[in-house]
Amino acid sequence: MNDEKEDEVICALTTDEREVLQRKFAGLVETMPPRAVWYRIREQAEAEGLIHRPAIRRRSTWYGGVGLAAAAAIVAVIVPAMLNSPQPDSFTEPQVSEPTNSIEVNTLQALMVESRQLESDLRSLPDAPRVMRMSMVATLSDIENRIAAIDYQLNDLGVQMTPEEVRIFWRERVRLMKSLVQLRYAQAQRTAY
Amino acid sequence: MSKFADIRIDPAIVKRAARGDARAHEIIYRAFATPVYSLCLRFTKVPAHAEDLVQETFIEIMRSVAKFRGEAALGSWIRRIAVSKALMFLRSAWTSRGQALADDWHDVTPGDALSHGISRHPDAAIDLDAALANLPSVSRAVVWLHDVEGFTHKEIAALMGRTESFSKSQLSRAYQRLRPMLSDPRADIAGENAGLRSY
Repeated sequence: MNDEKEDEVICALTTDEREVLQRKFAGLVETMPPRAVWYRIREQAEAEGLIHRPAIRRRSTWYGGVGLAAAAAIVAVIVPAMLNSPQPDSFTEPQVSEPTNSIEVNTLQALMVESRQLESDLRSLPDAPRVMRMSMVATLSDIENRIAAIDYQLNDLGVQMTPEEVRIFWRERVRLMKSLVQLRYAQAQRTAY
Repeated sequence: MSKFADIRIDPAIVKRAARGDARAHEIIYRAFATPVYSLCLRFTKVPAHAEDLVQETFIEIMRSVAKFRGEAALGSWIRRIAVSKALMFLRSAWTSRGQALADDWHDVTPGDALSHGISRHPDAAIDLDAALANLPSVSRAVVWLHDVEGFTHKEIAALMGRTESFSKSQLSRAYQRLRPMLSDPRADIAGENAGLRSY
């Protein structure tokens, strides 16, 4: 606050002018970097040993079969719910991984059901308006990209993930889906008026 | 106002990143790439330089994330790294020209401002992007850090290795340059749009 008063004295901008400037700053569009930037970062990070590639999954032990059975059990529970709602347009639903006990199965199942419900909520909203502010386009695109990245990871069957890791990714997916639904809902409300 | 503070990442993903998990780092990158790139682009004005700074920023994140204790928000921590990299860039650019990271207002004349569309006429339609781009680099950095990222003059002074007076002086001169556009009638429209902005 003291800082603000000092600025006012020094720069001689009125309070109104400061507010206008702040609003203009808030209206500036943010820019996404080109996709190639991430590939360059990953390449450098791998060369320096800062990150490691996911290990390749090998099902050479008997408990791999148990995991498959558990996954099949979850699918059996989820499939009826899936049949009651159409497939999502925007995202590829991730595959089920290998939970190992009933608590994990229940948690994961709850996250998947919630995620699917959010997909359904999203579809029930009116189509996005043809004209949108650039900042809104960038925000929606950013969230969708992050969901797509998570789906990509969860769908990659060549990747070894522990049940805890799978839950983390699903939890993040649900959180992002909620943000997406809230934004689209707010957008739909504004369009309606 | 800064978007960094609005972005939340599950602490478990940060822990995985600390162990070098590439997927966790990709999620962090996708979450923060846009605000980091936007900040770097404001500082450098040149997309290629901004891309290099994004790369340096995220490589630094990968090197240091194991030391991140979560005392501050992850977004604030990442923003600090990005700002530090961007200021280093400015410093190096100035060093290569044989100048200190100091007052570069003599590089910009009133004629430059007018030729870049920054009219003194209050009714002229002036674009804030163009006006910012036309500010001297250091001054533009000070405005951005103070008004958008919310840094205090004391913090800006520390980041730049200068005094608080320097920061205030740069801000004041930048405001004088930006002032003609503040009576732009489009400001109200921009303001309404800004009010709708959410994340």
